[in-house]
Amino acid sequence: MPTPTANAAARFLAQASMGASRAEIARVQALGYAGWIDAQLAAPRSGTRWDWLIEKGFNGATFRNSEQGFDACAWRKLITAPDTLRQRVTLALSEICVVAISGLVGAPWRNFSAAAYLDLLEDHAFGNYRNLLGAISTSAPMGQYLTFRGNVKQNPTTGALPDENYAREVMQLFSIGLIQLNTDGTAKLSNGNPQETYGLNDITGLARVFTGWDFDLTGTSRDTPDFLRRPMLQVASRHETGASTFLGSTVPAGLSGADALKAALDIIYAHPNVAPFISRQLIQHLVTSNPSPAYVGRVAAVFNNDGRGVKGNLAAVIKTLLLDPEARNDSYVTPSYGKLREPMLRLVGWARAYNVGSASDAWAIGNTSDAATRLGQSPLRSPTVFNFYRPGYIPPNSAMGKLGLAAPEFQLTNESSVVGYVNFMQRLISKGIGDVIADYSSLLPLATNSQNLLAEINQVLAAGQLGSSTLGLIKGAIDTMPATTPAALNNRVYAALTMVMAAPEYLVQQ
Amino acid sequence: MTTDISRRAFLQRASALAISGVASPLAINLAAMAEASAANASDYKAIVCVFLYGGNDYANTLVPYDAASYNSYYSLRPNLAYQRSALSGTVLSTASAPVDVNGVAHQYALAPELAPLLPIFNAGKMGVLLNVGTLVQPTTKLQFTNKSVPLPSKLFSHNDQQSEWQSSMPEGATTGWGGTLGDLFASGNGNATFTCVNVSGNAVFLAGRQAVQYQVSTNGSVPFAALQKPLFGSATCSNALQTLMTQAQPNLMQSDYARITQRAIAANDVLTSALGSSTSLTTPYPANNNLADQLKMVARMIAAAPALGAKRQVFFVSMGGFDTHDGLVTVHPGLMKTVAEAMAAFYQSTVELGVSNQVTTFTASDFGRTLSGNNDGSDHGWGSMHFMLGGAVKGARYYGTAPVVATNGPDDVGQGRLLPTTSIAQYAATLGSWMGVSNSDLLTMLPSLANFNASSRNLGFL
Repeated sequence: MPTPTANAAARFLAQASMGASRAEIARVQALGYAGWIDAQLAAPRSGTRWDWLIEKGFNGATFRNSEQGFDACAWRKLITAPDTLRQRVTLALSEICVVAISGLVGAPWRNFSAAAYLDLLEDHAFGNYRNLLGAISTSAPMGQYLTFRGNVKQNPTTGALPDENYAREVMQLFSIGLIQLNTDGTAKLSNGNPQETYGLNDITGLARVFTGWDFDLTGTSRDTPDFLRRPMLQVASRHETGASTFLGSTVPAGLSGADALKAALDIIYAHPNVAPFISRQLIQHLVTSNPSPAYVGRVAAVFNNDGRGVKGNLAAVIKTLLLDPEARNDSYVTPSYGKLREPMLRLVGWARAYNVGSASDAWAIGNTSDAATRLGQSPLRSPTVFNFYRPGYIPPNSAMGKLGLAAPEFQLTNESSVVGYVNFMQRLISKGIGDVIADYSSLLPLATNSQNLLAEINQVLAAGQLGSSTLGLIKGAIDTMPATTPAALNNRVYAALTMVMAAPEYLVQQ
Repeated sequence: MTTDISRRAFLQRASALAISGVASPLAINLAAMAEASAANASDYKAIVCVFLYGGNDYANTLVPYDAASYNSYYSLRPNLAYQRSALSGTVLSTASAPVDVNGVAHQYALAPELAPLLPIFNAGKMGVLLNVGTLVQPTTKLQFTNKSVPLPSKLFSHNDQQSEWQSSMPEGATTGWGGTLGDLFASGNGNATFTCVNVSGNAVFLAGRQAVQYQVSTNGSVPFAALQKPLFGSATCSNALQTLMTQAQPNLMQSDYARITQRAIAANDVLTSALGSSTSLTTPYPANNNLADQLKMVARMIAAAPALGAKRQVFFVSMGGFDTHDGLVTVHPGLMKTVAEAMAAFYQSTVELGVSNQVTTFTASDFGRTLSGNNDGSDHGWGSMHFMLGGAVKGARYYGTAPVVATNGPDDVGQGRLLPTTSIAQYAATLGSWMGVSNSDLLTMLPSLANFNASSRNLGFL
C-alpha cells in the first residue's frame, strides 16, 4: 500500500484520533493506516482520570460535594493522552452509553463518579461490548444516573413496582433501539411498517432484574470516593427473585441478583439489533453521519463475528470501520458525506495541533456547556441520556433535510452557538484559558508568508479541505496585516487560525 | 398593505415554489393560508410553549383533593403523596366541578409549590387541561388493549413522545405545529426571522416548511466579537471572516451551517436595536431560575414586537429535570416552584406591557407518569395535566375529562399511566384557532385533528 499523503493522513486522524498534529501525521505515513491502528490498539493506557484527581488532592474533604477537578481531568486526557484512538472511542462511547455529571446524585464525590465512568468506558474501549454492557450495568455512576442504585423489588403492601428507568434506556439506547433492524442497520419492515422491538410489558418485566443493587461500602464509607469505582453490590433482600419475562425470553425465578443480571444482559445481547445498532452509531461518531447500509453491514458483520467467533470485539469493529473503503476512499466523498465536527473535537483538534499545555497542570478549561459564550458542549455534560444530539436528527429547513439525511451535530447548531463558538475560539486561540495555552512555534516561522502559513494550518487542522477560493480569501486578508513585529506575527497566526476554524469547509469533516 | 399587493406577492411566491420544484400541493396550500391569515393579522398575538422535558409527574402537579380521590391517590403512592393538609392552601375552587367517565365530580389542588399560580387561576386567567396526551384518534381502553386503532408510535419513549407532542411524529420529524403557525403568519410579520423564537435550544416544534426557528440566548442575540471589533486589529480580516462563514457552499452541511450563520449575523443587528429601543421591564423575576431567564427574554421580545413589526409570534422555552424516576419528593417540589415563579413573573410582565390578553402561555411535557410509584419515584406514562395562562384564557376552569384515580381503572393502561381523553391536536387547534387559523387550515396543520369530532376540536379555553 502506498504511503498516505499528508492530507490523507490528516483526514484519517480526524476520524481516528483526537486530532492531527505534524508528528501524528508522520506516524500515520510511516506505519500506514492499519499499522497505525495496530500500534494504537497495542499502546499502553494513559493514566486514569481517577488517579489524577487523587494526585491533585481532589479527594480532600472540601471537594466532597463539588464537581471540581472533573472538567480538568477530562480535558487533560482528551488533549494530551498519547493513546489517541482510545480517547476517541471513549468519547464516542460516552455519547452512546451516556452518563452526565449533573445526574450523579445520591452520593458525594460527583467529580470522582464522573471520572470513574469515563475510566470504565476507557477500560473497555478496545474490549468486548458485552463486557462493557455488564460493567456499566453494575457501575455506581450508571446506578446513580439512571436511578437503579437502591432500586427495590415489588412491594405487595404499597403496590410499588421496580423503577423502570434503566430497563428502558439500556434497551432503547445502549443495545437494541426501538425498531427491528436488518444487519445493515435499515429497518425491518412488515407491510411497509417498522416493527417495534419491545412494548411496555417488556419494560416492566426487565425492570424486575435491576433491583437490589447498591453502593459497595464494604470496609469504607462515603467519606472517601472509593465506593464509586467499585461495581455495585447486591442486597438480596431487595432483589426481585420472581421470574422476569421480556423480549420473548425469561430470566428464571430464584436466581441471585448477579446471575439474573447476567442472564438478562445475555438475552438483550443476543438480539440481532445489537451489531447494527452500535456499529452504525460508532461510524457516525467517527466517520460519517449517513453511512450506506452496505458499510454498516460490513462493520456489523465484524461486530457479530470478529473472524474468531467472538461477538462484540470493539477493537476489530473500530479497525474495520476505519479501514472500510467508505471511510478511506475519496470516491465516496459526495456533497453529503462526512459529519459536522462536534464542538469538543474542534477545541481538542486545535489543542493537539499546537501542543497546548497547562504549565501548572491545572487544565482550567472548565465547563464549556454555555452555547452563547463557549462551546455548547462539554465532556460528560449531556443534558439528558439522549446525548447532545440524536443519531437520527434531521436539521429542519436544511439542504440535508430535503434529502432526508441526518446531521446529528446540527442539533447543537443554532444562531447562538455558531457565534458563541467562534467568539470562544478566537479568545482561546489568542489568549488561552488560564495557563492552558498553545505553542505556535510551528507556525510563527511561517507567519510572514501567508501562503505557507495557511497551507500548514489547512493541512494539519482541516486535512487540506479548505479550497483555493477560501484560502485565497483568507490569504488576501492576512496579507493586509503587518508582519514586522513579534506581536504582528502573532496576530497573523491568530487571525489565520480563527478564520480557518470558522470556515464551513473546516467545520464539516469529510 | 393592500390586497392587490399581497395577492401579487402570493402569486409570485407560488410560482417561485413551482419553479423550484418544491411546490407540493401542501406547500401551495400553506402559502395560500399564510396570505389569508396575514391579511387578518392587524393585532398582535403570541403563544408561548413551556416544555417540561423528562415527563412531568401529573399526580404531584395537580393533586386529587376530594376525599375519595385523595384517598386513592394516597393509597397508590404513599411514599410520594402530599399530605392532604399540605394542600389546603392551593385547592382550586371552580364554579363547576370536573366529572369523570362515571359522572363523579372531582376536586383538585395545585402542588403547594405552585402557589404563585393560584392568584392567576382565581383571577380567571389560568385554566387546567385534564388528561391530555398524544393520540392518533379518540381511543378507548379496549381499543388500546386490542391494538385495534392506530396509536402514537413509540409510546413512553422520551425523545419520541417529545417529538409527537411537538410535531405529531416520532423522532426524525422536521416540522412542528409551532413552525406551521410560523408558515401561516410569517408574511404578516415585518421581519419573518422573528416569527418562531426559541430561547432554549433547538426544537422541532418551531420548524415549519418555510418558517425557521430563530434561537436567541437569555441575554439576547449573541454578537460576533470579530464584527464588533476588527479581528486582531484587521477590519479586512473581519470582513473576510464574515464572507467565508456565510458564503454559499457546494457541500450540503457546509451550506446548512453557513445559512445559520447568515441568519445569526443579520438578526443580531435588528434585534439588538429593537430590544434597545423598547420598554424595559420592571416586573421582578426570580433569581437563579433559568426558565424565568428564558421567559424574561420572551417578554423583552414581546416588548420589542412593535419595533420588529411582529404580529404573530410563537415562542418556545423549556426546562429539564422532570424524569423523576427517583427522589421525586426531594426534587419535584423544587421543579414546581421554579416553574410557578417563572410563569407567574412572565404573566405579570405581560400585564405590565399591556399585552396580557394577547399572549397565551401553555405547558407541555413528554408524557405524564405512573400514579403508583416505584419506591421513591414514578415511571413513564402517557396522559397528563397541563396549564394555560393569559388574559384571553377562560380561566378558573377545567377542560377535558377528569380521570378516575386508580390503577387498572377505566382511564389508565396500568399503574395509573393515563390513556389521554384529550389529544395534543385539540390542544394545538384551540391555540391555533385563537391565533387566527381557520378551521379548514387547522386540519392541514394537524393531520390527526380530522379524526376528532368537529364539535370537540376546539376545547374552548380561549
